[in-house]
Amino acid sequence: MVSKKVIVNNKTGLHARPASSLVSFVKKFKGCTVTIINGDKKANAASIINVLTLGAKKGAELEVIVEGENEAIALDEIVKFIENIEE
Amino acid sequence: MKKFTVSKAASKGIVMGKAFIAVQEKLEADTRIIKDSEKDIELAKFKKAVKDSVAEIKVLAEDSEIFAAHLDVAEDAVLADSVETKINDENKNAQLALEEAVAEIVTMFESLDDEYLRERAADIKDVGKRMMCKLKGVKSNPFEGIEEEVIVIAEDLAPSDTANMDFKFIKGFITEAGGVTSHVAIMARSMEIPAFVGVADFRSNITNEDYIILDAIGNEIIVNPNEDTKAEYLKKAEDYKKMKAELESMNDLPATTLDGRTVELFANVGSIADVENAVSRGAEGIGLFRSEFLYMENTKFPTEQEQFDTYKKAIETIKHPMIIRTLDIGGDKELSYYEFDKEENPFLGWRAIRISLDLKDVFKTQLRAILRASAYGDVRIMYPMIISVEEFRAANEVLQECKEELRKDNIPFNDSIQTGIMIETPAGVICAEDLAKEVDFFSIGTNDLTQYLLAVDRGNQKIAKMYNSFHPAVLRAISKVIEAGHKYGKMVGMCGEFASDEKALPILLGMGLDEFSMAATEIAASRYKVRNLKYEDCKELAKAVCSKSTIAEIKALID
Repeated sequence: MVSKKVIVNNKTGLHARPASSLVSFVKKFKGCTVTIINGDKKANAASIINVLTLGAKKGAELEVIVEGENEAIALDEIVKFIENIEE
Repeated sequence: MKKFTVSKAASKGIVMGKAFIAVQEKLEADTRIIKDSEKDIELAKFKKAVKDSVAEIKVLAEDSEIFAAHLDVAEDAVLADSVETKINDENKNAQLALEEAVAEIVTMFESLDDEYLRERAADIKDVGKRMMCKLKGVKSNPFEGIEEEVIVIAEDLAPSDTANMDFKFIKGFITEAGGVTSHVAIMARSMEIPAFVGVADFRSNITNEDYIILDAIGNEIIVNPNEDTKAEYLKKAEDYKKMKAELESMNDLPATTLDGRTVELFANVGSIADVENAVSRGAEGIGLFRSEFLYMENTKFPTEQEQFDTYKKAIETIKHPMIIRTLDIGGDKELSYYEFDKEENPFLGWRAIRISLDLKDVFKTQLRAILRASAYGDVRIMYPMIISVEEFRAANEVLQECKEELRKDNIPFNDSIQTGIMIETPAGVICAEDLAKEVDFFSIGTNDLTQYLLAVDRGNQKIAKMYNSFHPAVLRAISKVIEAGHKYGKMVGMCGEFASDEKALPILLGMGLDEFSMAATEIAASRYKVRNLKYEDCKELAKAVCSKSTIAEIKALID
């Protein structure tokens, strides 16, 4: 299990289209379980329903936890993805 | 060959096709608690429902963003987990587990103060419904896959049903429920789909193998006609079309009586397509833009921009006055994405202007959109179901707020936009003079007015005979409202079905009604009628009618 913190930088936060593109991205790492924590809320990152209810706005500090095959690579990629979200 | 006689057509015309009996299943979950040994079966049922739904949505998602969002939800891990937990740990069957899981997620989304998430709640509900259909083994859209010309036969048809229909193949309707002013009847008229509603004891006599002629001119249904009969009716249908075309050739002439009184013939519309149709049928304006269709045919509350685009397109198409009625839901009109509490008496409940004044944000979104459209032509605002001067003032106060906001942002609008009200309650009639002092215009909504004045539910088949706008109470109320409006120099129109009733027209004309708003399809016939009447005679008739105390005596004067 590996984890890393990341700050949400884009304007809308993990919401609407950014949330749905994150979920599709996470689903590519088939051998991994990805969890995102925002304060006291915890989400399965492969679930759009869960990610939306995180309510992660611009400036929120998230913890991304990955467990499974090639978890370190997956973690790096996912963190990078969140850092580079536009909109 | 069998013949059935029907008392009245909801929408005129002659069509034929195979019978299509709509199967509309109730989607309530089975509440059974299962044995441990059944869990695997239920889990497998759910998995299959998901798989089938996903396959179906994928096809729809190819050219629709809405369905792309549905796809995410259908494949969602949390939804699946929740359902599976309910099956495994709580021994619920797949249907019950799905129903509960969807309800929990929907409640959570709806409780968040976030418009985007509320929209997603509607997606989740829709997907849940689709999966439930799979679990129950019923089609999610009963009108899918129709590929030949049919006459739809149903118990009743809701707006969501008619929104799902392909009118290339669906030629007519016959429903068991509903009166001539029910949603399905209005819909059928504006789409020019011949229809009978409130036909009891018919559906059980028919199978999908039968062939049907729906003659909504002669008020007959013919089942399995022979070739001669079929040919005879094809000719009748042709003749009817020809006659309609002839009437429409007078479209450019004003609706002026033989002795020089000119009235306005406006159209009732619910969409841009209706407005275009109204223009081609010679409407001189829009007397009722039913804005609720914008809301009912959506999966969320329409945004200001969406509404503005529609209203702007509409006013630019009609290029004449256009009266937009603000959101008129509640009663028999619901929204798929907004939970209405069950009410004992929905027609006396939370509906129309009452909802708008309570949901101020929704109301303001609409008013801002209408105001912005008013920069492009003579757009007017009409508030529905007004029962008091206070309500009218309250609505106008919200309008004033919207105007100030727009002014601050330098967004153009017509500052002197007209605001009027529907007169459709007994209170509106009795207080008509007080209201006339403050409003710019009245529009009499005879459908609800008749129902409220007579205390007769217009959707109730058992008392359909009592629902009659020729009742002296209704006619005298109309006359009183017109007089009150004119006393203060205000225009009085009518946007109920009564305005296009050929028997009512001379009476209304004689009472002094200024504007007649009706289904666009009725305009040509009304124009012809007005042009062949004398205003002086109509005045006499109106006076005589108002002095009679029974429907029979009134009918004797006009038949």
